Amino acid sequence: MTQSINIYKPKISSIFSSSYLKVTNRGKFYKILLFILGLPVHIVTVLTFYFGKGQNQYGNAYKSCEEQLVSKGLLGSWRKQFLEQENTKATFFHETLTAEQLNKKADLLVQEKLQKEIERQVAAQGLEKYTYQSYFKQLLNSRNFLLISVIPGVLMYVLLLLYSNPFVQFIFERVLQTLFVILGVATLVFTILYISPLDPARNILGIEATSEQIENFNRLYGLDQPYLAQLWQSLSGLFTFDLGTSFAGKEDIMASIANKFPVTLQIAILSLVMAVIIAIPVGILSAIRPNSFLDYTFMIVALIGLSIPSFWQGLIFILTFSLELSWFPATYNPQNWLSLVLPVVVLGTTLCASIARMTRSSMLEVINEDYIITAKAKGLNERKVISKHAIRNAMIPIITVIGLLFGGMLGGASVTEKVFNISGIGSYIVDKQFIPDIPAILGGVVYIAITISIVNLVIDITYAFFDPRIRSKMKKEG
Amino acid sequence: MKVISNLKLLLKITQEYGNAHFTLSFSAIFSLLFLLYSYNFNTQAVRPIVLVFFVVYLLTTLYVWLISKSIKRDLANHGNIHIRTRILGYPLILTVLVGNIFASSFGFSLVTKNKTPEYTFATYAFLTQLFIIGVSGFNLFKPYVIDSFLLVMGAFVLLAIIFAVMIILVSKYVTQASAPKWMLPIGLILLLPVLTGNLFSLLLGYGLIKKARQKDASSIEKWQKMWSKILRNSMAVFGMFFIIFMFSLSVISPWTFDYDFATQNNYSAILQTPTLEYPLGTDDFGRDLFSRIVFGAQISLIVGFFSTIIPAIIGGTLGAITGYYGKKTDNIIMRLLDILYAIPGILLAIAIIAAFGANTVNLIIALSVGSIPTYARTMRATVMQISNYEFVESARALGASDSTIIFKHIVPNSLAPMIVKATLTIGGAVISTSSLSFLGLGVEPHIPEWGNILKIGSTYLETHSYLAIFPGLCIMLLVLSFNFFGDGLRDAFDPKTN
Repeated sequence: MTQSINIYKPKISSIFSSSYLKVTNRGKFYKILLFILGLPVHIVTVLTFYFGKGQNQYGNAYKSCEEQLVSKGLLGSWRKQFLEQENTKATFFHETLTAEQLNKKADLLVQEKLQKEIERQVAAQGLEKYTYQSYFKQLLNSRNFLLISVIPGVLMYVLLLLYSNPFVQFIFERVLQTLFVILGVATLVFTILYISPLDPARNILGIEATSEQIENFNRLYGLDQPYLAQLWQSLSGLFTFDLGTSFAGKEDIMASIANKFPVTLQIAILSLVMAVIIAIPVGILSAIRPNSFLDYTFMIVALIGLSIPSFWQGLIFILTFSLELSWFPATYNPQNWLSLVLPVVVLGTTLCASIARMTRSSMLEVINEDYIITAKAKGLNERKVISKHAIRNAMIPIITVIGLLFGGMLGGASVTEKVFNISGIGSYIVDKQFIPDIPAILGGVVYIAITISIVNLVIDITYAFFDPRIRSKMKKEG
Repeated sequence: MKVISNLKLLLKITQEYGNAHFTLSFSAIFSLLFLLYSYNFNTQAVRPIVLVFFVVYLLTTLYVWLISKSIKRDLANHGNIHIRTRILGYPLILTVLVGNIFASSFGFSLVTKNKTPEYTFATYAFLTQLFIIGVSGFNLFKPYVIDSFLLVMGAFVLLAIIFAVMIILVSKYVTQASAPKWMLPIGLILLLPVLTGNLFSLLLGYGLIKKARQKDASSIEKWQKMWSKILRNSMAVFGMFFIIFMFSLSVISPWTFDYDFATQNNYSAILQTPTLEYPLGTDDFGRDLFSRIVFGAQISLIVGFFSTIIPAIIGGTLGAITGYYGKKTDNIIMRLLDILYAIPGILLAIAIIAAFGANTVNLIIALSVGSIPTYARTMRATVMQISNYEFVESARALGASDSTIIFKHIVPNSLAPMIVKATLTIGGAVISTSSLSFLGLGVEPHIPEWGNILKIGSTYLETHSYLAIFPGLCIMLLVLSFNFFGDGLRDAFDPKTN
């Protein structure tokens, strides 16, 4: 009864108490988290809880019920049943158990059953187990308590608010996860570079460098410090956008990355646009007429596109379109947009092929769904069925895949950039790896990974917004 | 048996008709390519040998077109392919002499009505052997050959004859469900040629042993069904053929090819254009490009294989554990793998190689680490599904331990998606290997690896473009074959696509 009212008239207080129940049900970790976040409030309430424990209805009911059951003499008959059960079990598995073991097992089972039975009866009387949790939940229902505790327990209330709505909760958890991944990526890449057996000091100063010079170099770049200190420095450098200067050439790493990143991003986004414009219509056409000549041709071409190594494709393109036909320049030049065409096509080929294949299979799956048959049965023409019903539903997995592939493309850009001599972030990392220039590589790799994570985060959240299936699933789980 | 009266449907399900069209288009494409190549635009001259090839391919195309017409007529009139049409397939087999694998395999499939997987294996084992002999035969034009050359070539010719005999025997005596008892020792003998890398022979031998022993009818049927599904897909078969051919070539190359031609500098023959002695020309140190590419296949296959199998095992184990235990284990392991997943594979490989230096072992490790999460995800999804099945429940009720349940009951049943995934990603690994070598981050530069060869080729792009074209073509063909084969496997294993 009270619950139904709560749903129709959501009051602030009931939001907190129901969200409190939800969060505490998620496990121990969340209970502790809530306790820590709202520590000043909890200190007071724990004290009042223990002082007020005297008037404990639940405990009294529990005791009386137990006495009732014991006096009925049910325990003996239960015990007999369990003994018999254990005996048959032992004979079936050919186990030999002593009488003592059997008795012990039966006793345990009887106690278990007794407890369950009492709890069931007490619950039937409408009494809740009187714990700190239920006490606190009740407190959250009262407006006065909330008003008093809102300032000391503000952190806890923010968490409760975040978990009060499944959608907000999803976004919050997804953002947390992304932050964790980003931190993890930075730590992982740093650790890989840290345990490297190569010695940047030797590589830069040359073989003739004295040990004093090397020591000096290491001290200058903090390479002589312990692992954790270096890790902290790198992480804080990464997140404050100050990575210092590179080992070789003494250039400001952040400035060079900021210069090169847009170049790579521009090419990557142009390739993505090209791939989407070509691949999605191709995939849809293939799916509408599966196993036709057109379908076979498209899919074989797509598979060839997947199998071409991009650097070789770049070389062949340079050979035909730059050297033989001289349509496009062979190397990249920011002033000349024509020089962008070849790298964009090369970088977009793999992506285009993957998206076309994905679109085809996703469309084929959707076309066989019941709702498409329904749409056809109610007399819609094919064009409408495809455009209104099929494509929109087929796009959902495709966009996720595009997000994931975009990451791969940013990574693969280093090869294409090298072939066309583009000074993007990929070729920057490759150039720096020979030393190895630790902060430069770290910065390059981690910033690319962060970009990818954020793109995927945005895609996931947008989905939760638009896809009704995901939304309803969230509500159910929430 | 239901009589199918609809001609359209009949044409669709008749494998020969589909194969005819397939062969028709590929022969047509190749004749077009030969036509284009037969004329040298730079010197305004005709290449007579290429022109001959063009004519042969064109004639083949027309011939196949005729066959497809006659198949269609037969099906329309009788509902099956007439014996006279089948005989037309014999001349097609000879096209293997000009390297037209499509037409000759179509010929083989046309001449017999009794198409068992073993028949297909036997024909492809034969074709593989012929191609090996052909490719190794180019060494005869070299100033000298390696000591073991003649002996090994003799053995190969013998093997080819054995396979040819097997084709006849299999088409006569082996049926869908059984083989005569005397096939058992033959099957055992046919397991041996696997030492030359001819895996078709292994499959043929295994199939014959299975059928001759007549032990387990259901397993024979399973074998029969699985392979007939895979072999129905022509592209998958050609992919498999090319992979096995490359594998076999890289296994036997130390016995028929001289490694010195691939690595020793020969300053008297620098940057030669293709001739019979140097079929694909020579590079800037006078090394024979043909031998280099053959030896490069070895490295590419080794790196591709190991950088697929290592993450498949590690990722598969992690995935199985997370999928089976769920909850906390799942959460912790998958969140950690998310970190790996967030870094693009090639960037992670570059970072690892930057830290540990560029060599083959580091390359394999670097490529492996990046692809662990994909395998873990694939395995996890399958295991999660399978651990809900009744047989798992019953194993648990019988008191099997968790590790027994996972590795004896669940994993064997969830291997299919992993195998498909692995086949599809070997291609990616081959591309990554050569890409990294091209950047100078992969295999050591003195080893003839396709990426390294291309790196040299890229500097002579303007003057000697064949140095860059041929190794790239090889990479593409190998990767394409893996992709086609993987697609075929996926279609065969995936119940949804049936």
